[in-house]
Amino acid sequence: MASEERVIAEGAWHAEGSSHAVKARLVDAGDRIACMAVATEGAPGRMGTGDGPAGEGVPPALASAPFSSLQIWERIGRLPRRIAFPDGSVFETADNDAIDALMTARGRRGVSFVHRLERFHPRLILLAAGTFLLGGAVYRYALPLLVEIAVLVTPPVVPQIMAKSTLETLDRTVFDASRLDAETQARLTEGFRELAAEGARGAEGYTLNFRTGGAIGPNAFALPDGTLVMTDELVALADGDEEMLFGVLAHEIGHVDLKHSLRQLYRAAGVAGLIMLIAGDVGSGIEDLLTQGAGLVALSYSREAESEADRYSVTLMRQAGKDPAALARFFVVLSRKLGDTGNTSILSTHPGSPERRKAIEDLAKGATGS
Amino acid sequence: MTAIDSAAPSVAAAGPAEAFHRVSFTGSGKEYFGIWIVNILLTIITLGIYSAWAKVRRNRYFYGNTMLLGRGFEYHARGWQILVGRVIVVGYFILYNVALTVFPIAGLVLGLLIVLALPWLVMRGIRFSARVTSYRNVRFNFVGGIGGAFLAFMVGPVITVLTLGILAPIASRWVGRYVGNNLRWGSKTFATDPPLAPIYGTWFVAALVVLLGIVILAVGAFLNSALIIATIDGSGTLPAEFQASMIAAVIFAYVAIFITFGLASLVYRAGVRNVVWSATTLEGGHQILSDLPRFGYAWVAISNIILTILTLGFYRPWAAVRLARYTYEHTAVRFNGPVGDVMAPAEKDGSAVGAEFVSFEGFDFGF
Repeated sequence: MASEERVIAEGAWHAEGSSHAVKARLVDAGDRIACMAVATEGAPGRMGTGDGPAGEGVPPALASAPFSSLQIWERIGRLPRRIAFPDGSVFETADNDAIDALMTARGRRGVSFVHRLERFHPRLILLAAGTFLLGGAVYRYALPLLVEIAVLVTPPVVPQIMAKSTLETLDRTVFDASRLDAETQARLTEGFRELAAEGARGAEGYTLNFRTGGAIGPNAFALPDGTLVMTDELVALADGDEEMLFGVLAHEIGHVDLKHSLRQLYRAAGVAGLIMLIAGDVGSGIEDLLTQGAGLVALSYSREAESEADRYSVTLMRQAGKDPAALARFFVVLSRKLGDTGNTSILSTHPGSPERRKAIEDLAKGATGS
Repeated sequence: MTAIDSAAPSVAAAGPAEAFHRVSFTGSGKEYFGIWIVNILLTIITLGIYSAWAKVRRNRYFYGNTMLLGRGFEYHARGWQILVGRVIVVGYFILYNVALTVFPIAGLVLGLLIVLALPWLVMRGIRFSARVTSYRNVRFNFVGGIGGAFLAFMVGPVITVLTLGILAPIASRWVGRYVGNNLRWGSKTFATDPPLAPIYGTWFVAALVVLLGIVILAVGAFLNSALIIATIDGSGTLPAEFQASMIAAVIFAYVAIFITFGLASLVYRAGVRNVVWSATTLEGGHQILSDLPRFGYAWVAISNIILTILTLGFYRPWAAVRLARYTYEHTAVRFNGPVGDVMAPAEKDGSAVGAEFVSFEGFDFGF
């Protein structure tokens, strides 16, 4: 038995939780792996090496255990390897290759798959390129796909509750009851119903609410459950051009039917999640920059959603037998009365008004012509 | 290159008293590159699950290459511990956000719970980070309570914000004391009492940086005043070239703000580290020293970010190694006579929830 002893590696041994390092070597004793103290200066053990007789002169093993009960740390770079014995003591060695060889000989995978990948090797160029492409693909394809799936599986009750609490909050804080006369309200609601009948949810799928906008001013918006709100100020801004108001409402129905708010919510959450996952690998400075960049990209999605809803308005208005270019007049009014003449920049949530007007007119004209 | 001075029976044998021993960092960008790229690749392939093991490998690499007297530090956290912590933290935040949109009241309650639990989470976070770190086989520990965490991590930030940063040094001192006085290496205690005056000295330098940045921005705004007036006025149509220069001006202002506040916070962070660490001793009169050049540190960090952007991220492993090397090589320990053998009482790591929450919220404690 003793003759089978073979030195595996030189290193240091620590009792459990102790800083005291004992110069030691790991020895393969057949059925057990043992850690033996190495005699210090000038002692005969130094020259006699490992396969000496297990006689009286040899100190007792510091630790000994069957191979299968050893806990061997994974190899990382050139870091010393730690081998923990069941009694809590630890043998540490810089001789990673020897430990790998031991593990391979005992049928355990010595070099982990991960470490083999990590080694500096031309293959890393391929891995880097693959990571880059894969990362791009996740962002470009997988993320939008996940967003679509999330939108599909969201039960309709979620947007309903979201909308209900949003409207309640706004009613309590900003809005007042509408001061429009009942006749105007009825007329606008009637026109709205004709429009809504052409929407994806049918006439019953949408409700129009009138409010005094207060701090919000002239505005119309849609909540994800099909609740639309139009402020008195917007009606006043239209100055009797009700067809134009329907154009705006059709645009808002577009936001509902295209599920823009849910989509943007999920997208933002997905991007934040992606950034979080690699945060530790890119450092906090780059993480901040990515977060800011994601904000800019979200704005571009917001602009795209506006353009989509504009196009939706053109189609819906035509289907309802109204003027498809009515929304364009709204942008004329907006430019004239509110001085919104700016073009699109990377920092705006909506495309510039002149640009949108032109796009709508082109679309309305082009479709009529054909 | 052997990392083990197995001939040295104890820390004290390695050097005479009264000499500072520099910490060194032996990692290399080339070596870390492989670990880094594989971490990212496997994180993507496993839909994020591997990120917990990635964190373990990254920390093991950085701790293990941080060497004092020929021995590196050891990081003991397991991938599954980190994963469980992350799943709980992320799960809670999803629940919180869903509740906030669906049942706002329940969401507010969940948010309030987090705020109330913050000191406990931070305390457990620091404790976990300490307990999974060891040097010479002896684990660190953290024995701070909830009260200290409340003062350092809740009262501190609040008074900092309320006084527009003027009381930030007091908050920094609380954090330094809370961590420094409750940290243990095995049975040995650390102690610190950072003086306030030098922290204010550093704060003053950082404040000057901010002031200078604001002056530069103001001059820029003045030079472009025609542009800004035209935009605010808004009645006339802006010509296209005005639009373009407006965007350029916005981007310039953005970058200037980012660099100004980035530089100020880096300078402040390095200065506070110097004061707090240099005031710290390990039981037995062993002195710790940090002499990180403030602007040198800021330069390394900022040039790292710029190079990382220019290389589409591929400089990152070298950047991380460069910053670690710069930081640790400006850290040292002076042993006051023999430390003797140190024993660590066995403690359970505990759960990683606090640590993961803390790093989720943007601050990460490493020793």
